[in-house]
Amino acid sequence: MPGLNAVADPVPAPRTSLFAKYFIALFAAVVVPLLVAGGSEAWFGYRDQRARLNDLLEAEARSAGARIQDYIEGIQDQLQWTVQLPWSASADERRRLDALRLLRQVPAVVSLTLVDAVGKERLFVSRIGLNRVEGGEDHSASPAVIGARANGVWFGPVTFHGGSEPFMTIAIAGNRSAVGVVLAEINLKFIWEVISAIRVGRTGEAFVLDQPGRLVAHPDISLVLRADAAATRPLQALRAGILARSGEAVAGRDTGGNTVLAAMAQIPGLDWSVIVKQPVTEALGPIYAALWRTGTLLVVGAALALLFAYLLAQHMIGPIRLLEDGVARIGAGQFDHRIDLATGDEFERVATRFNEMASELAVSQERSERIGRLKRFLAPQVAELVDRTGDAHVLDSRRVEVVVVFCDLRGFTAFSAQTEPETVMDVLSAYYDSLESIVSAHGATLTNFSGDGMMILVNAPVPCPDPALRAVTMACDMQTSVQKLMVGWRALDDRLGFGVGLAMGPATVGRIGSRGRLDYTAIGNVVNLASRLCSSADDFEILIDRVAAEAVGSSLPLVELEARTLKGFEEPVPVFAIGLGQIDA
Amino acid sequence: MSRRDVIALAGAAAVHGAPAFAQRSAMPVIGYLGSETPEAYASRLDAFREGLAETGYIAGRDVSIAFRWAEGQYQRLPALAAELAGLQVSVIVAPGGAEVALAAKSVTATIPIVFEMGGDPVALGVVASLSRPGGNLTGVSSLSVEASSKRLEFMRELLPTARLLAAAVNPSSPTSKLQAANLQAAADSLGVRLRFLTASNEQEFDGVFAGAQQMQAGGIVFTSDPYFAYRSKRLAELAVQYGMPAITQARDFPAAGGLMSYGGDFRQSHRHTGVYAGRILKGEKPADLPVQRVTKVELFINLKAARELGTPFPPSLLSSADMVIE
Repeated sequence: MPGLNAVADPVPAPRTSLFAKYFIALFAAVVVPLLVAGGSEAWFGYRDQRARLNDLLEAEARSAGARIQDYIEGIQDQLQWTVQLPWSASADERRRLDALRLLRQVPAVVSLTLVDAVGKERLFVSRIGLNRVEGGEDHSASPAVIGARANGVWFGPVTFHGGSEPFMTIAIAGNRSAVGVVLAEINLKFIWEVISAIRVGRTGEAFVLDQPGRLVAHPDISLVLRADAAATRPLQALRAGILARSGEAVAGRDTGGNTVLAAMAQIPGLDWSVIVKQPVTEALGPIYAALWRTGTLLVVGAALALLFAYLLAQHMIGPIRLLEDGVARIGAGQFDHRIDLATGDEFERVATRFNEMASELAVSQERSERIGRLKRFLAPQVAELVDRTGDAHVLDSRRVEVVVVFCDLRGFTAFSAQTEPETVMDVLSAYYDSLESIVSAHGATLTNFSGDGMMILVNAPVPCPDPALRAVTMACDMQTSVQKLMVGWRALDDRLGFGVGLAMGPATVGRIGSRGRLDYTAIGNVVNLASRLCSSADDFEILIDRVAAEAVGSSLPLVELEARTLKGFEEPVPVFAIGLGQIDA
Repeated sequence: MSRRDVIALAGAAAVHGAPAFAQRSAMPVIGYLGSETPEAYASRLDAFREGLAETGYIAGRDVSIAFRWAEGQYQRLPALAAELAGLQVSVIVAPGGAEVALAAKSVTATIPIVFEMGGDPVALGVVASLSRPGGNLTGVSSLSVEASSKRLEFMRELLPTARLLAAAVNPSSPTSKLQAANLQAAADSLGVRLRFLTASNEQEFDGVFAGAQQMQAGGIVFTSDPYFAYRSKRLAELAVQYGMPAITQARDFPAAGGLMSYGGDFRQSHRHTGVYAGRILKGEKPADLPVQRVTKVELFINLKAARELGTPFPPSLLSSADMVIE
């Protein structure tokens, strides 16, 4: 079958596949909104989180600062008790017991020195050194005593004992000069308990720098004990960064090299900076989490888009392939091919339409093939007719009432004998052209012609109303038309004439002939009668038998002629003619 | 597995006398050098394990400990330390005084050592500086040695009328001379006579109490010395037996019936030792870990002992005491 080859014909591949289009569409529908939403969420989230973090860290710093300050103030409060009473001349046992009790209660205090109004040491108690009563040493010029007297409280600089342990002296003066001043040596290692208890978020922590930038307290006490300026430089840089931004939280690096966010609170009086820091990864954790979520959604969305695009494309491509293949087969003439689609959607409808089209094409092709076959062996006129009616069954044999019209030229034999063949051919050609157009104009069928004669059937194979009248009218037209041509021809031979005979009656009509050549013709007495009437007709004459004449009735003015004896008919046959005047008209 | 791990594995196998299980192979090993017996160290070991656990190491689960005990024979310490070094342990813990630290220091310059001692590690030549110990040593120092003259002060406070007090010194201790000098100076400033009695082994303890009784000393002040500290129970027995007021550095002494003690909190110092051992196991360098000094010095007094001795505590001691044993 040629159809199979047609299917395999290379159709140019599409520039883009359905899958790619679907994917792009779905990707745009799924991933782009996600990307936009996720991106904006991340960006605004980052800004909000950063602002919130700043507030949070600053609050944490203030809180941490307050805790350190509370701790120092707690020590101050304890010390305050030792400078309540004025000194008497003699040693005060009660005061000594208070001092000893204070040492027990405040572990951070390493030693206490009580000096009286004139700055003389009256009592010294220590955890390690020997206690002294009435030591008498003069402290009046010491900065601690002068400072405490001036401001009430004096904080000494942080010193590192043995280059390692941070200590500080706190001096407190009573509200009257008579009660003297207390000097306490504080072991700052104890702040560790405070500082290590401070947690910012999950892993954030706090540390304390003194005014020159030395590390006073840090959750990792060994950093403090190392008293290493180089190691604490990143922390100093953090503080410098915060100061440069007038106290706002900044990002920087801690001693471990981690990126942190840091905020600071200053402790007034001590000039210490309490700085809290939180790893950026933790602080911005929610943002990272949101980004991860968005990313995951994007990946999932893209994967879903891919999957749906694939499924949709598969869903579409299957039917489309079937349709394509089916159309190609049908196009190649394989009309019995049916596209089998039961998708229940538009595809199925399209397939049904294609199938209908294919079956209609099959029918029409079958018909045209049949007609083509008929045309091979039918007279063109009949074939034309069949073609027009679209049904070869009209050619089947049957018996019908027909009107048979015969016509021929008078004197043609003599004319053709003495005239140039080319001229004869020209004459015949004009003659037939003229008659054929009239025959087809009247819906009659030219079944046969030979030489100058012609047989025409009316009412077969195509039935028509009022066949007799039609036949007579046609005969008149033929006579008129041929007579016009005759005007020119008579110059060639004045014996030329044109006669017509027609008869009506039942005849068997149908195809007749061999396999190579088929004719449509009528057989019956009526044919003979028409033929004899034609032979009997003179130029200008149209002879009509009784049946046709009666069928025409009074529609046309007919004249009954004298009954004629015709060859093959025993009785004289009644003959009618149409008036010549009618023809001229 | 590195070569070090293989050796540690071998060490662990040797210590436990058990086949090397796969689980043990991943476990680091701590070499623990003790100057006495496990019994004497029991409370200190608990504190040490606590500190270790603070850093996330549970002995037996995350880390195994190879013990070497000198059982009071300090001359054996270097050999035992060498054994631990031979096991190629991850870290050597050398608690209980300068002798132990120095013994460990003498056998390795590479294996990290965490010491615990009463005196000044710089003065005793264990480390170059507190903040930057340098080398492979770091550790914890308690304030016991510095506080020894304070002990004399408390004894004087308790016995203000006594004209003579005795001081017990372990001449084999590296800090004995320093402490003796400090005590003498303190006695001078407190206005009391002081006589020194020596004991460098357990057999001489009896002689110290007998000597004090003989010279009619009001009481005995024991210098800070691990050897004494680990034998608090024996000293308490003798103090009760001789009816002699005495003060030592270790809380074990009043707890066992002795009169009072004043010294650094050994629980704190041993816990810190455990913390440092853990941090070193985690990869920190000893050189980066400053020597820690214990912040807590504690006064323990035993009221019952005071009653029996007929020496009631004055209010100053009562108010200074961190712990009063009824």
